[in-house]
Amino acid sequence: MREGTRTYAWSAAPGWMVSALLLLVLLSLLGGCVSKKEPAGDGVTTIVFKHGKIAGDPALLRRLIETFEARNPDIRVKDETLPASTDEQHQFYVINLEGKSRDFDVLSMDVIWVPEFAKTGWLRDLSHLLPEGERDEFFPGPMQAVTYRGALYAVPWYIDAGLLYYRKDLLDKYGLKPPQTWQELVKTARYVTEKEPGLYGFIWQGKQYEGLVCNVLEYFWSNGGDVLKNGKVVINSPENVEALRFMTDLIGRYGVTPRLVVTAIEEPTRHIFGSGRALFMRNWPYAWNIFQREDSPVRGKVGVSRLPSFPGKPSASTLGGWQLGVNRYSRNPEAAERFVRFLTSAEAQKTLALTIGYKPTRRSLYRDPDLIAQQPFIASLHDVFMTARPRPVTPYYMLMTQVMQSEFSAALSGTKSPEDALKSAQEQIEQMLGAE
Amino acid sequence: MRNEERGRWFVIPSLVLLSLVTVYPLIYVIYLSLQRRLLIFDVSRFVGIDNYVSLAGDARFLNAFKNTLYFTALSVTLELALGLAAAVLINRSFRLKGLVRAVVLIPWAIPTVVSARMWEWIYNTDFGILNHLIGAKINWLGSPFWAINAAVFMDVWKTTPFVVILLTAGLQVIPRELYQAARVDGAGRWAVFTRIVLPLLKPVILVVLIFRTLDAFRVFDAIYVLTGGGPANSTETLSIYAYKVLFQTLRFGYGSTLAVVVFLCTGAISVFYIRLLSKGVRL
Repeated sequence: MREGTRTYAWSAAPGWMVSALLLLVLLSLLGGCVSKKEPAGDGVTTIVFKHGKIAGDPALLRRLIETFEARNPDIRVKDETLPASTDEQHQFYVINLEGKSRDFDVLSMDVIWVPEFAKTGWLRDLSHLLPEGERDEFFPGPMQAVTYRGALYAVPWYIDAGLLYYRKDLLDKYGLKPPQTWQELVKTARYVTEKEPGLYGFIWQGKQYEGLVCNVLEYFWSNGGDVLKNGKVVINSPENVEALRFMTDLIGRYGVTPRLVVTAIEEPTRHIFGSGRALFMRNWPYAWNIFQREDSPVRGKVGVSRLPSFPGKPSASTLGGWQLGVNRYSRNPEAAERFVRFLTSAEAQKTLALTIGYKPTRRSLYRDPDLIAQQPFIASLHDVFMTARPRPVTPYYMLMTQVMQSEFSAALSGTKSPEDALKSAQEQIEQMLGAE
Repeated sequence: MRNEERGRWFVIPSLVLLSLVTVYPLIYVIYLSLQRRLLIFDVSRFVGIDNYVSLAGDARFLNAFKNTLYFTALSVTLELALGLAAAVLINRSFRLKGLVRAVVLIPWAIPTVVSARMWEWIYNTDFGILNHLIGAKINWLGSPFWAINAAVFMDVWKTTPFVVILLTAGLQVIPRELYQAARVDGAGRWAVFTRIVLPLLKPVILVVLIFRTLDAFRVFDAIYVLTGGGPANSTETLSIYAYKVLFQTLRFGYGSTLAVVVFLCTGAISVFYIRLLSKGVRL
């Protein structure tokens, strides 16, 4: 085969010249990726809002943004959705904020990230955005979670907390009441599941992930235990050991919780309860709306209450929810602040509650007639949210939760006793926090 | 001579590009791995090989290393054995051969994350088809023993087709006459397989092993989606542990150390195989 007879225009040029040309093209391509210049100003500021996937129709949020733009003709908002998993969102923010990215202005954050992002200096101080008097309108838990060293670094957007879902129809059938204590829950579940074959007693989330920590802390707190107290690690306490042992007993000794919870996150448990196959479930408020749909087998049969507690101790729910902050490196911090202010206003929160079902962080909305008419149970959520507790509010939370997730999982899957798991967690967390 | 010189010039742009996107990050990661860099404590200083020394005392690292080795050894062995058997079967002529070959490829064609989600449902204690088929109530992903084996099985299901395709290609190169000659000489099926097929297939097998061992050793997405590393870290591989240290707890120094360890191991595996490949095996 002879290929070399054809001549191309460039084949006469010296090798170094072709090479240099290629390099030039390459570098200009790279340059094109890096320098993204904003279009020249026509008096309109564009800000970028990063957030996780909106439950339900994304057009609902878009409509809210259009309202904002209509009222602020000098600002345009681009909303950009991040991957659905919170871990990936955290990763996105870490990489971009550590790289001092200016590509987004407003960010929505899980309740556990704010102190971390504040300490690393990635968030703009928003203390001036909410006057002292207005802060009381918000639930205390989220306010605590967005405050770092006395300053406000985000504004609570919507709120979540762990709830106990129960089958009202089944409890009524056997003349039983929703349980006040964990022991009552066990008794009730055993009684009903004996009479109703194929029914699970109590399901919750036990996979090795953040949700597991949310679940376990509710047992710790409702037994008077804690994880961090005045900066000291107190996870290895008799109260916590008892609480964790109770959780393993739910699966083993009492047999009211199926072993499948060890791999379950929220949605699988919601599916099981939603198909009418469990008496009790611990989950977040979002499940309620789904149970009320026309085609739901449990429609009208579900009740909601605060979580049980150990005798003589108060019930405790883990606080969840999302907060809005402003990127420290934002080019348009004032416009970003105005947008945060708008999205966290009572008006916007009410719209989101009515359309998507996001629970407002402003307490007055729980007396709002429109909301109560549409979601009668919202009034009863007020008390749960009032006492909902944030996970340890510390910049080091992400370090702690890695340890807690694996040790709690070890206890639930039976590879370690609750005593050993908590002892090991105590040592590892102390070592990490004492790192410097 | 002139052509060679020209060629050298033409290689330069690719080298520049490669060094920008791979060599620079690699050197930076190695540099980071020699640092104590804890973003959240605002600590950043040079510590030499301290991070590497503390690997030895890190139970979670040792556990991840053990899991990675177990996963790699078991999945690659099974994939090679099954892949070889399937390739030999497919290589015979029969009706619908083309269709069968296409069908075999399906698991390989499904994106990893999608197949991991699929297997999560297949393994579901309650609704999963696996328990339904065998009439059991095994909590596949909830028990430390089953979880890692469930991950291996998922990987075998997904990547055996890849092995089959490569080996089939290798088999087709073997001339028919060799089989016929062996038959004439009175060789049985087994003798043909071990004396003719295997030796001639050896280079392809080594290529398969390189690809599969490296992929299995760095496994991340499939297991991360399937179990997240749980329960009780029983499925946490080196890559998953490195990811958690880097992006969830922001320990960039130690996380980079873990990444470098993965890199060194994969490097050693590659060198080992390439040595084998270049030694004495040629068609």
